[in-house]
Amino acid sequence: MTLNTPLLGISVLIYMIVVFYLGWIGYKQTKNTDDYMLAGRKVNPFVLALSYGAAFISTSAIIGFGGYAGAFGMGVLWLVAMNIILGIFIAFIVFGSRTRRMGANLKAVTFPELIGKRYRSRFIQGFSGALITIFMPLYAGGVLIGGARFMEVALGIEYNTAVMLLAVIVAAYVITGGLIAVMYTDALQGALMFLGMGILFVLTYAKLGGVVKAHQALTDMAPLVPANLAAIGHTGWTSMPALGTPVWWTLVSTIILGVGIGVLAQPQLAVRFMTVKDTRTLKRAVLSGGPFIFMMAGVAYIVGALSNVYFMDTRGVIALDAAGGNIDKIMPEYIYSAMPDYFVIFFLLTLLAAAMSTLSSQFHTMGTAIGHDFYREFLMKGKLGNTITITRMGIATTIIISVALAYKLPPGIIARATAIFFGLCAAAFLPMYTGGIFWKRMNRQGATASLLVGTFASLFWLTFVNGKVASSLGISKAIFGVDTLLTGTWTFVDPILVATPLAFIVAIIVSLMTRPDPEEHVELCFKK
Amino acid sequence: MLGIDDPQIWIAYVLCFLSAIACIIYGALKWNDGE
Repeated sequence: MTLNTPLLGISVLIYMIVVFYLGWIGYKQTKNTDDYMLAGRKVNPFVLALSYGAAFISTSAIIGFGGYAGAFGMGVLWLVAMNIILGIFIAFIVFGSRTRRMGANLKAVTFPELIGKRYRSRFIQGFSGALITIFMPLYAGGVLIGGARFMEVALGIEYNTAVMLLAVIVAAYVITGGLIAVMYTDALQGALMFLGMGILFVLTYAKLGGVVKAHQALTDMAPLVPANLAAIGHTGWTSMPALGTPVWWTLVSTIILGVGIGVLAQPQLAVRFMTVKDTRTLKRAVLSGGPFIFMMAGVAYIVGALSNVYFMDTRGVIALDAAGGNIDKIMPEYIYSAMPDYFVIFFLLTLLAAAMSTLSSQFHTMGTAIGHDFYREFLMKGKLGNTITITRMGIATTIIISVALAYKLPPGIIARATAIFFGLCAAAFLPMYTGGIFWKRMNRQGATASLLVGTFASLFWLTFVNGKVASSLGISKAIFGVDTLLTGTWTFVDPILVATPLAFIVAIIVSLMTRPDPEEHVELCFKK
Repeated sequence: MLGIDDPQIWIAYVLCFLSAIACIIYGALKWNDGE
């Protein structure tokens, strides 16, 4: 379906003009490295909350995970509760205030630099930067696909052109305006997303006769679960999957825990805690951050699940059948079919904003990781030119890699690519990040060991044990002649449940068995 | 409750609302708290 109306064209044009205006303001306000890397460390609480939320929520959450709720039901709401309690409240109040203070004490301008300076280790900074550079393009490629796919559908632009166009537009304001441009445009995009999802929430319940009536109709549809899904644990759209079944393990380990815990160690989100001038700003940001996540993820998952009632009433089929069996098409199909034309146009802008706000943060983080953390600080030992110039070259390089991946990645990869990156970040970064800001005894050796164990345990599990990833990579098959080294339930368990606890244990044991870091350095890190 | 029979789901549904409201209340109470 192509909605190539003049109204849509004009809306997109106005939106782009405002985005470029904000990007230009970012460029004009960027005077030094702190401005380019950390938005001058004086960001407003509403801008912080909207920027954090908009960078976190992409088309992956709305289309990918919303579609998952359409197929498997409301169990995924536990992820929303995790995202608000852990991803906003705990992240801002507990992690955020310590991260901000330590970042300022150590004059760190990126997440890998904060960790590297906490442990006085260029290796940790360089390795973390390399890890982000290698694996974040997978996540960015997924978001790029999501953004380009609906530009293709809505604007009638050819897919390959849409990928290139989206990347060039975002690159233009990220490279020139740095984090100020990223956060200003994020705030605009976040406000658009909030409004779009809010209207969708109200219209959906209104269309289905109110909250209780809509839920009851969905509950009554439980006998309609397809036999093949019921066989792997699907029990209905308003009940949890059967305990211990493949659907239950995927929901609980990969989606709820993988993304729910992984958010704490996302470099592009953690760096935002260093962009504010005091703890009060972080506390104020909670006010809008919590409702924002509810309005994004909560609404997407509730509406995704309820789309089953709409399709049953109008076509006599469940959502998965209405979307031709493709989970990623459930939300677009529902929006196009059930919503009035004027809202479809507004919702397309909402999705464009969701894709661009996440992409801009990814591009900025990948560019600083390869340019500043890996090349300038690790390879060149800090003895090289201007950080901003090198970072700009880094951003350009990683954008090219992400675009190449968007052309190469297989279809239906969006949600999985996102979950893989979140899980890897949790295993590699979370133990040394948590230990670094909460435990003075945590030392360089413990951090290095946990970084390496978390990274390689995660990659080993993905390559040789996790059913979906290992079988599509084919490395295990080539070496050992079997798709996965373990069988049964293990193949559904996400690496986060194995690699993250292992990395935490290694961090604690190695730290206690080796000499503490110098006391004066630790005191500097934790200075109030 | 709310047309949902499985307590594991309606608890999650209510928890999402309550945690979002708790964030609003916390942010408002701490608005002038702690330069």
